[in-house]
Amino acid sequence: MSAAHIEFKTKWGLVVDIDKCTGCGACMVACQTENNVSPMEDASNKLRTLTWMLVYELKNGKPFPEAEVAYLPRPCMQCGNPSCVPVCPVVATDKNEDGGIVSQIYPRCIGCRYCMAACPYHARYFGWFDPVWPEGMEKAITPFASTRPRGVVEKCSFCHHRWNQAKDAARVAGKDPDNLPDGAYVPACVEICPTGAMAFGDLNNPKHKVYELSKSPYAFRLLERLGTDPQVYYMTKRDWVRRQGDNYLPNEKA
Amino acid sequence: MGLDRRAFIGLVAGGAVGTLFTPIPWKITDDLSIWTQNWHWIPRVPRGEVTYATTATKLCPSGAGLKVALAGGKPVTAYGNPEHPLSQGGVSPIGASEVYMLYSPSRVRTPMRKAGGKFEPITWEQAQADLTAKCKAAGNKVACISGDAGGTSGEVFSAFLSKIGSSAMYAMPGEAGPAAAGFKLMGGQGVVGFDIDNADCVLILGGDIFEGSGVSVRNRKAFCASRSQGGAVKARFAYAGPVRNHTGAVCDAWIPVASCQLGALALGVAWHLLKAGAAANAADMADFKKLVEAGYSPDKVFKLTGVPAEALAKVAASLAGAKAPLVIPGSEMGQGMGPGAFIAGMSLNLLLGRMNKPGGVMALPEMPAVFPGAETPSEILARDLAGFLKNVGEGKTPAPEVLLVHAANPAYGLPESAAMAKALEKIPFKVGFASFMDETAAMCDLILPGSLTLERYDDVVTPYGSAFCSYTLVKPLLAPIYDTKTPADFILDTAKKMNLALGHDSLEKALKEKAAVLAKAEGFMAGQVMPWEVLAGKDKPAFDAAGMWKALEAGQAWVKTGQVAQTGLSFAAKVLAALKPAKPELCLAGRAPQRVGTPATGIPAQCTTAIPASDFKDGDVYVSMNAATAKQYGLSEGSRVTLAGAGATCSARTHLSENVMTGVVAVPLGFGHTAFDAFSKGKGDNFLSIMSASPEAGTDMTVWTGSEVKIA
Repeated sequence: MSAAHIEFKTKWGLVVDIDKCTGCGACMVACQTENNVSPMEDASNKLRTLTWMLVYELKNGKPFPEAEVAYLPRPCMQCGNPSCVPVCPVVATDKNEDGGIVSQIYPRCIGCRYCMAACPYHARYFGWFDPVWPEGMEKAITPFASTRPRGVVEKCSFCHHRWNQAKDAARVAGKDPDNLPDGAYVPACVEICPTGAMAFGDLNNPKHKVYELSKSPYAFRLLERLGTDPQVYYMTKRDWVRRQGDNYLPNEKA
Repeated sequence: MGLDRRAFIGLVAGGAVGTLFTPIPWKITDDLSIWTQNWHWIPRVPRGEVTYATTATKLCPSGAGLKVALAGGKPVTAYGNPEHPLSQGGVSPIGASEVYMLYSPSRVRTPMRKAGGKFEPITWEQAQADLTAKCKAAGNKVACISGDAGGTSGEVFSAFLSKIGSSAMYAMPGEAGPAAAGFKLMGGQGVVGFDIDNADCVLILGGDIFEGSGVSVRNRKAFCASRSQGGAVKARFAYAGPVRNHTGAVCDAWIPVASCQLGALALGVAWHLLKAGAAANAADMADFKKLVEAGYSPDKVFKLTGVPAEALAKVAASLAGAKAPLVIPGSEMGQGMGPGAFIAGMSLNLLLGRMNKPGGVMALPEMPAVFPGAETPSEILARDLAGFLKNVGEGKTPAPEVLLVHAANPAYGLPESAAMAKALEKIPFKVGFASFMDETAAMCDLILPGSLTLERYDDVVTPYGSAFCSYTLVKPLLAPIYDTKTPADFILDTAKKMNLALGHDSLEKALKEKAAVLAKAEGFMAGQVMPWEVLAGKDKPAFDAAGMWKALEAGQAWVKTGQVAQTGLSFAAKVLAALKPAKPELCLAGRAPQRVGTPATGIPAQCTTAIPASDFKDGDVYVSMNAATAKQYGLSEGSRVTLAGAGATCSARTHLSENVMTGVVAVPLGFGHTAFDAFSKGKGDNFLSIMSASPEAGTDMTVWTGSEVKIA
């Protein structure tokens, strides 16, 4: 049974140009520092690390010298038809009119991890341990995202707090907070990308870059055929990258 | 008994149903969710107005301007400054970690003196007395190793050394040193930079310019601007190197070649260009043609590098047919290249007529010094630190009596680290202006902790590779957290007390003077108009000299386009003729992504998650090689392997990657720290220790790219 597919007036979306991503990981660091993900001394066990934004390495599977490599940054897809929302027993996560961002309310979450099992993108992370900031480092905690105790699930929120800040700034300037110009609200990862490989905006607003980019013939979404309707689009001119966006059969066209 | 079982059950059930009609259960559930989660040991978010302030990163070599968010007046996180030409909003993982690094557990909190093998805290007065006494006794036998030779802080150290009669000022190795030495050998004047924005065909020889090399953020923005998302491609990029690294990943083509053979590859391309009639107005043009035709014919280059003639011909044709071709020499790990290899790469720019042209190589003027007696950064950078230390270690050169280490970690960040550590141990008195307890600080006799970027005044001056001069102010956003000082200020004060006044009372005053001098140098504040637009032909905007300091404080960069005319540029044919490219059976390629920081920073706390499992997993570091190489040595995915080179060994596990060329082992740098904090310590081995440092034939400068390795 799928969640009701509601269309929102504002639909925040991300477009990542895989052909530009160098895999540096600045987006991961920006996300962690912005959203108060505690630093992890030993981050080598990837089943225990909290990486709301995670950069994947893609290979074309060919031997040297035909080998190619690409990098794919993966935030939460903020699905239009999310798998995680209907399974939450306490409605700690919801897809409502708030710009189409799938919310995550930490105090409500009971840590059952049903949403993690449901998410096909592995975009949700469970706090197995209490977050630890070495003495003094807690001064680097930003006011933008609450700190989470162990036992709750967390995920990318498209830096929802920045949307609130942008709306406030618009109100102060006497402009319409519900009609933000392109670039007034961008998540930390998009802002910091040293290459400028990501674009962010309202997928429904023709004045925003992402409106056209998401309709590009080079654009695709991950696991589209599951029907999740993700709001994160990827662009590539390389067919072998595009083919890794879903489970295609060898003779199927991507 | 008045209450029987039935009545009792009735009362309890009735009471239960009754409470449902009261707010009690809902209040209890609400309270439960709060009181089971507001544990006092989870830190809270800060309160206070959110404001933003600007500065620039000193820990990341890209020189990006920073926009720092403050909550209640205290810095909490750092972003790139959208108005800054070297940032445009972007910043590397290192720059993004500047706030977190303030609070690294390995920060040195007070001056310390080594007594009986352990460090004891002392006051700044005691520290200054120690240093003064040792410097007076050493006379001119004082040396300095700096990780920041280009800025005004570097000038202070250089001026100090000059004043006491020493010319032993060295910079940590990078891309700038071989470039400075090589360009000098070519008779070049000025400092080279690369105008990627206006180029339409770029050949990158080795350098990881889209990761950590040079003005890497600027380079990436230029790359992005050359190909709008899903749109037309305005410039093509090819990467030549042993590994298809982060730079190679986004380039249109990869030419696999070992890093010790990049110079030979360049001359192989030159062979094709010469055949097609390319020539340059250089005094040794004929000699250059002769040596290329004799030594770098297509089959000679194929035998050496494995790159087929058609591939080289294709590269040459692309470059020759482009309107604005550009060749950028470098090392895949940002260090270890020789001036000879640099010259070989630059010879292509000469043949293509790219000197001082838009989209080509820009020879920039050196910035004026404000401390008399200071050497130019080029002079300092061109000195061979690795060679010097190696000679000290082997007793061929006398060790200095006092060593000042500033913003550098030579005990970790040099090749043949065991030999280098031996050399450092020979120096009787070592002073570390360290911010962190790194490997070098641990060896020092006196630690004078330096305030970090956000705690001090400083500047960022034209980082290497930039196509335009730039000057950015670094200003303190919070008072030093610990008992630290700005190293330059301490030196100025010490010099004054030794009756060797260097010219300014404080670094801040010197920076103001620097700005005043630059205000007369025909530049402008980057903002509405960016310097690469001026390079492309746009008009220089108006410049308000009187408002320069204020603009600098607001985070803007002063920039200047304009090049140094070349009067005697040559191919340095004598040097090129002497080059002897090696052909090792198995050689190393270093990978230096920014997520592991620099030798001077260690692995920043928030960057550990960006290190993939293919580099570090379950406590083991992984080296990469392709299946063909692995088969040759009986290795498979996950096999333990011991690598031997330079008389040392490193152990790791094997990761198979077809993005590494055959005959090469790609090793991740930044591991094997024995100092810093838990984020850096105890993770794998330092692969710099097995890289052999040897003199480059033709220049005698120490090189270590593509050094031979054996699998033990």
